[in-house]
Amino acid sequence: MIDGSLPSDAASSGPPGLLEVEHLGVSAGSRKILDDVTLSLPDRTVSAVLGPSGCGKTTFIRCLNRMVELSPALKIVGSVRLLGRDLYDREVDPALVRRRIGMVFQRPTVFPQSIFENAAFGLRLVHADEDEVDRSVMDALKRAGLWDEVHDDLDRSALALSGGQQQRLCIARALAVKPRVLLLDEPTSSLDPHGTQRIEATVRHLKEEIAVVIVTHNVGQAARISDRVAFFHAGRVVEVGATPDILERPREALTEQFITGRFT
Amino acid sequence: MSSPLSPPEPPARPRFRWAQVPPLLAAAFPVALLIGIVVTLAVAGLGFGWLLNPSVNWNPSTGDPSQASFGILVFVVGSFVTALPALVLVLLLSLAIGAATALYLPRRVSLLLNGFVDLLAGIPSVVYGIWGFWIVAPVFGTTLNPWINTHLGFVPGLGGPVPSTGIGIPLAIFVLTLMALPLTAVLVRESLLAVPVAYREAGLALGATRYEVFRRILLPFARRRIGGAALLGFGRALGETVAVFMVIGDATKLPFNFFDLSFTVPGVLVGQFDSAFIQPNYLAALAQLGLVLLAFSLVINVGGRWLVGRVGRGGIAMPEAA
Amino acid sequence: MSAVPASGWADWFSPTELVRFRRRHLVDRWIGRLVPIVFLVAIVPILDLIFWISQRALPTLTWTTLTTNPTGNAGGLYGPIVGTVDLLLLGLAIAVPLGIVSGLSSAIFLPFRWGEVVRGAGDLLVGLPSVILGYFGYFALVIYFGWGASLLAGGVTLGFFMFPYIARASDQAFSSVPPDLKDAALGAGARLRQYARRVAFPIALPQILSGIFLAAAIGIGETAPLLWTALFSSYPPTTLSQPTGYLTGLIWNYYDEPLTFGTEVTLAFQAAFLLIVIVVVMNVIVRLYAERSRKKLEGLYG
Repeated sequence: MIDGSLPSDAASSGPPGLLEVEHLGVSAGSRKILDDVTLSLPDRTVSAVLGPSGCGKTTFIRCLNRMVELSPALKIVGSVRLLGRDLYDREVDPALVRRRIGMVFQRPTVFPQSIFENAAFGLRLVHADEDEVDRSVMDALKRAGLWDEVHDDLDRSALALSGGQQQRLCIARALAVKPRVLLLDEPTSSLDPHGTQRIEATVRHLKEEIAVVIVTHNVGQAARISDRVAFFHAGRVVEVGATPDILERPREALTEQFITGRFT
Repeated sequence: MSSPLSPPEPPARPRFRWAQVPPLLAAAFPVALLIGIVVTLAVAGLGFGWLLNPSVNWNPSTGDPSQASFGILVFVVGSFVTALPALVLVLLLSLAIGAATALYLPRRVSLLLNGFVDLLAGIPSVVYGIWGFWIVAPVFGTTLNPWINTHLGFVPGLGGPVPSTGIGIPLAIFVLTLMALPLTAVLVRESLLAVPVAYREAGLALGATRYEVFRRILLPFARRRIGGAALLGFGRALGETVAVFMVIGDATKLPFNFFDLSFTVPGVLVGQFDSAFIQPNYLAALAQLGLVLLAFSLVINVGGRWLVGRVGRGGIAMPEAA
Repeated sequence: MSAVPASGWADWFSPTELVRFRRRHLVDRWIGRLVPIVFLVAIVPILDLIFWISQRALPTLTWTTLTTNPTGNAGGLYGPIVGTVDLLLLGLAIAVPLGIVSGLSSAIFLPFRWGEVVRGAGDLLVGLPSVILGYFGYFALVIYFGWGASLLAGGVTLGFFMFPYIARASDQAFSSVPPDLKDAALGAGARLRQYARRVAFPIALPQILSGIFLAAAIGIGETAPLLWTALFSSYPPTTLSQPTGYLTGLIWNYYDEPLTFGTEVTLAFQAAFLLIVIVVVMNVIVRLYAERSRKKLEGLYG
């Protein structure tokens, strides 16, 4: 029923890919979580990974910065390239990969430290000098749209922030180490509408500088913030394309069913 | 036809039932036993007024009881110079075990190794004692202690004579470390594992190495409970009785150097009870010392339990993110 | 693990960051090697202990050792073995019912706050140095109650010693029964008492049994609570009011005798060997049993 072959426009009509995923497969024992995924994720673009729960979209995004390797039971095949360089090359340390491809998770994961130290966490790992840390933290907080709310009390505990603020702090923390790509795994799933709105505004600004990949099961969110959509189902890519094309004129029946809410 | 709704039953009135008495008594028993222990020691110990004094002069003076002096400084010093180094060692080992379990070793391997650590807790105290006295002491006396003495003798306290039997403070520290390790290791391990996986992943996603995740995320998150684990381990080391008595040499004087013989508070409680039977004020002094140890133990355990929180009941004070 | 970025990656990071990275990577690798080694070092002593005590005990351990009483500077372990079993059974007879009911009350019947008080007191009892309990047993039971140094006084003291362990295990067992079951039972019109007996108890039982086993394993190895309550004897007790021998006491009395005149020290090592075997076997049983009942429970509650 599902055609595994790649929709033709993925490689041809989109902008040139920053991240190129080729024949990516992930399996747990005999069960295939991802099956032969080939995708091109362009620079300075918000790409949404859309699909019902259990379709493998979280596993997919965790493959993009090798977080997937933290589950030793999973077997990974295929390749992921950042500007032509294979992330899974034996010579490459995952820690370096993750400094260029940042990630934010479903729930805010602020550390029990001050707001400033949270944002500076990644910088402190390399003992950057204080001026540079100050500058980078301020810059990151501004880009994450949090600066105006917190610049007066950066020494306050980050745990005192609201959920939405915490999530933006996590985005700032990831931005502070200057990644080329930011991965967002359902970043608003634990937030209220207001928090969600702020995150979405932040994401729309981010694409002016970097590539953003956002996982979501919410069609509305994909429509509001993404430029391109890849629709996943049962571990495969069903359809890829510009957001309005996919959401308004889906070619595949599965995509249409999902968009119109006939399954979730 | 009767009404479809029967009249409401009168609300159940809490009524005294005899069947409730045994469970309530049993529930109150821990509190009662604790109070009973304190009262018993107080009654046994305070008949002659306060006998203990903070000097080095421990002289029960069996010939003339009125000349007795019960200075406890020797034992207090002995307890601390053995329990504190043991605590440091226990904490280092526990952190290594916790880090290995949480980050570095595959699950199966760490499960097996942790089983051995847990087994340490099951070995009877007196077995550690006889093992230390006959098997380990010669190694300390002929090899380890002289080696430390030769190579680190310039450090104050590590120079000077070394008894060749191996009995003494270093051996007591060694045995105490083993005996306090399982409790602390379990608590440290649990508190590290209780740090949500999401936080470890957040660190790794920022390009942290496993060590940095341990140092900058697991440790700060688990700091409070690790402190509690250390305190409880310290309490166990301070209260350990039989094994330490058997390997420390029971010298009623301040230790001359690190390798000297010494004596601890629980050691004198267990070691001199037999001689105190015939002399009422001697017996009362020991009971008073027992009261002091009891008070110490209660304070340390209350503090430790408070810091650790209740393990396994969801009472872990973990900052919730959302 | 891979080392430093391949040439193709170097231009993505500042030279400083690359140098730092090399250092961080090395630190992590060395800690990763060191930490498991430290772990192994921590378990060497237990293996050494088991090996050397077996080595001292086994060559002369025969059936006769287990069936004759200690005599001055020779003999066997019969009296203390029987005494250990008697003391343990007597102690359990007190600690098991008291502990189970106490845990049941603190987990189910009492309001949470009062339950916390009971649990707190139990934790403090567990943390007490065991010599304190020996003093308590002597002054309260032997002297004030006038029981004298006896099997009775020793067994009751040992029971008091094991009690908090069993109470804690029982409290945890009853507390870990899924709350839905309580709601379901009470919703169906059962009284709290009926819920406790018919629903909670069968589910909590395996965990309680594990707790009893562990308490017994700890109790069997105690020395200080028994030294002046049970005192010591070379012969198996025949009445509750006699002083009683036990394996730990035999080690305590014999371990520092001279090696040249008799076999006391060997006998002490043999007692130690028996204790290790008992304790290890009990621990293994508890582990296997706990694992099995955990799987069974997982089967029940998905």
